[in-house]
Amino acid sequence: MIMAPRLRNVALVAHIALSVGWIGAVAGYIALDVAAATSRNAETLRACYLAMELIAWYVLVPLALAALLTGLVMSLGTKWGLFRHYWVLISLLLTIIASVVLLVETQTISHFATVAADPATSGDDLRSLGSTLVHSVGGAVVLLVILVLNVYKPRGMTRYGWRKQYEQRPKQYTLEPDPTYKEGS
Amino acid sequence: MGNRPSYPGTPRWVKVSGIIVIVLVVLVVIMLLSGHGPGRHTSSAGDAGSQVVLSGVTDEHSLAEVRRG
Repeated sequence: MIMAPRLRNVALVAHIALSVGWIGAVAGYIALDVAAATSRNAETLRACYLAMELIAWYVLVPLALAALLTGLVMSLGTKWGLFRHYWVLISLLLTIIASVVLLVETQTISHFATVAADPATSGDDLRSLGSTLVHSVGGAVVLLVILVLNVYKPRGMTRYGWRKQYEQRPKQYTLEPDPTYKEGS
Repeated sequence: MGNRPSYPGTPRWVKVSGIIVIVLVVLVVIMLLSGHGPGRHTSSAGDAGSQVVLSGVTDEHSLAEVRRG
């Protein structure tokens, strides 16, 4: 079902805000992750692990799931569809992978925070915990790839999209110029 | 208008991206199998996912830091 233009714009604003917000939250998380990976100070490490858990559960996970949901709404509610264009399909797969990896990684982050919250944990134990830097930086790269795909929308239809396009052509598509099209509109 | 044009095939950028992803996945699998994967961030205190063995009793300085905080 194609959304009305006004509803589509609302959904688009929500999707952009949530998706770009996800990237920004990952950037903030990476700053803490770098500190956790490099700092030797026990108090800094303790603070980082506790903050990383808060950001992961209360910012990253909600933004990831909301971005995935609004992405589904945008694709199913517009002409792009979910499986018709490669850039949409690949964006969907990458978003699902990033969300699943994030949800799995929250277990590790929660473990770090539990250890860090224990007053009996020594500085050596905190320093031995390490970081989730590989996953957070990898996640940021994946999100930037999705962003590039969504902005540039590279050409290429899937076989399913190609078939659907020609099934609907008698009803919706025409090779003739659109008489309602106006230059610059 | 009656004949549907044949499917032009998968675009080149999809094929190139697919090859890059396959190469990266193979590299990650090799790294994991050789013990250099990201799971090592918990391995210093045992296997991934295991509880960290605490040595807080011997680290009086850290305990003092916590109490002070």
